[in-house]
Amino acid sequence: MSTAPAPAGGPAARAAIELVDVSRWYGNVVAVNEISFALGPGIAGLLGPNGAGKSTILHMLSGFLRPSAGTIRVLGQPVWKNPSVYREIGLVPEREALYPFLTAFEFVLLGARLHRLPDPEAAAARAIDMVDLRDAQHRAIGGYSKGMKQRVKVAAAIVHDPRILLLDEPFNGADPRQRLHLMDMLRTMAGEGRTIVFSSHILEEVERLAENVLVIIAGRLAAAGDFHTIRRLMTDRPHTFTVRSSDNRRLGAALIAQPSVFGVDLTDGLLTVRAADLAAFAFAAPRVAQTQGIRLFEVRPTDESLESVFSYLVRR
Amino acid sequence: MNWPVAQLTLRLLLNQKRTVLLAVLALVPVLLAAVFRWGSFEEHPADWASNRLMAQIIVAALLPLAALIFGTAALGSEIDDGTAVYLLAKPIPRWRVVVSKLVVAWLVTVAFVLMATVVAGVLALAGEGHALVVVGFAVAVIAGALAYCTVFLALSVATSRAFLAGLVYVFIWEGLVTGLFEGTRVLSIREYTLGLAGWIASLSPKTFEPELAGGQSLVLLAIVCLVAGWVGVRLLQRFETGESS
Repeated sequence: MSTAPAPAGGPAARAAIELVDVSRWYGNVVAVNEISFALGPGIAGLLGPNGAGKSTILHMLSGFLRPSAGTIRVLGQPVWKNPSVYREIGLVPEREALYPFLTAFEFVLLGARLHRLPDPEAAAARAIDMVDLRDAQHRAIGGYSKGMKQRVKVAAAIVHDPRILLLDEPFNGADPRQRLHLMDMLRTMAGEGRTIVFSSHILEEVERLAENVLVIIAGRLAAAGDFHTIRRLMTDRPHTFTVRSSDNRRLGAALIAQPSVFGVDLTDGLLTVRAADLAAFAFAAPRVAQTQGIRLFEVRPTDESLESVFSYLVRR
Repeated sequence: MNWPVAQLTLRLLLNQKRTVLLAVLALVPVLLAAVFRWGSFEEHPADWASNRLMAQIIVAALLPLAALIFGTAALGSEIDDGTAVYLLAKPIPRWRVVVSKLVVAWLVTVAFVLMATVVAGVLALAGEGHALVVVGFAVAVIAGALAYCTVFLALSVATSRAFLAGLVYVFIWEGLVTGLFEGTRVLSIREYTLGLAGWIASLSPKTFEPELAGGQSLVLLAIVCLVAGWVGVRLLQRFETGESS
């Protein structure tokens, strides 16, 4: 599956990141199961609940986990046991730990020096500016808030101007302003032709930032495509509601006649409605109630959690 | 050698609380030597300095403890807390990371132990004409520190319980098992260090008699450094970070 726009010569020919039948297991536990995709320039979001395998995929992409099966190539090179590929990769790990005795500037400068940049001080200053941390750059990181640490990590990851940026839950701990700033920065970087992959378990983050979405559930690639495709898949799925009204029995009988409804259940006076089309049901339910002279007290979706949406995508 | 890695490692090692503890421990041999010097003891100064002060306190306790603290922390602390990723996700061959960390851990260990060895040795033997005892143990401590640090650094890449494993090696294996079973002494860095010290100090067997010959000790020290160094590099090249980290 390729989530990148197919370039001339085939998607794999110019894909910045390419995974082919990649699996990773720990003993008997399969963390990632035969995942294949190719990504070109732009922002891709790995979306999935906690423990779905997003971090495992990012660890494999960054060369910190060896795939148990399959192949991974970044800019045409293998990443496992290949430190030279880090010239083109910036990595923002999920863990918060940093060197508490270093200042932000020293930490980013360390990265610049390890990359042997020609002017490490200037590169560090530029990266610090990009994450809007200039005012605090000479304070020890040990005293930073979680959001500030997150920005230091990003600065260190971009100091060498990488073509590939991998970010594991980059918005954790960031306040709304920092989040917007970071999103703008990533959009700008993607606009310059970089490939950015980030993981998140928050739908809205992915929706706002990612052009391509890879939905990872239980170690499998459940869906992939642009966000509208994914959103449509999620919206078009069957929805279940519990309904409270002045006459649940009569309302249930009326609702079953609606084309958007394919099942009703009345148990212990509780009306449960299964609708195939969310929008049509939302439109029809109050009208049917009004027509029947029934007072509608509450319509509550029962399965709107992200996990249930993900479960649907897996079963699909 | 990679200077940014070395500088970072030095700050890392000097920032840990155990370093303060070790600085205090390094004063113990100096204080004991002062007590011996200005107290009235029957034992000959060369006997006491080589067998008690150097062999039992510095080589058997201070040296492995210092090497354990610095050898396991040089890289192991970053692996444990996840910061190692910031070094390893760089276009630097892993062997350079290992060598840079090892050199710093070794030099810091030597700085502490050598200071204690020389000051305590000079205090105990001043005016006694046994300068080679100090020289012999000083050189042996430098070589032993390299072997210990290499082993403990490799151990810290292999396991998150490197400090505990190192303590078991030093105090159970070297302190107990090699004392009970003579054949196991060829697997003891302490015995190599003592063998090398005895060789350089050229003391009579009546004064100080190590279990291993000097040449044999030197070869074994070199083998330990090479093998442990190779294992450390291999492990770091295949270093994986798990979900839990």
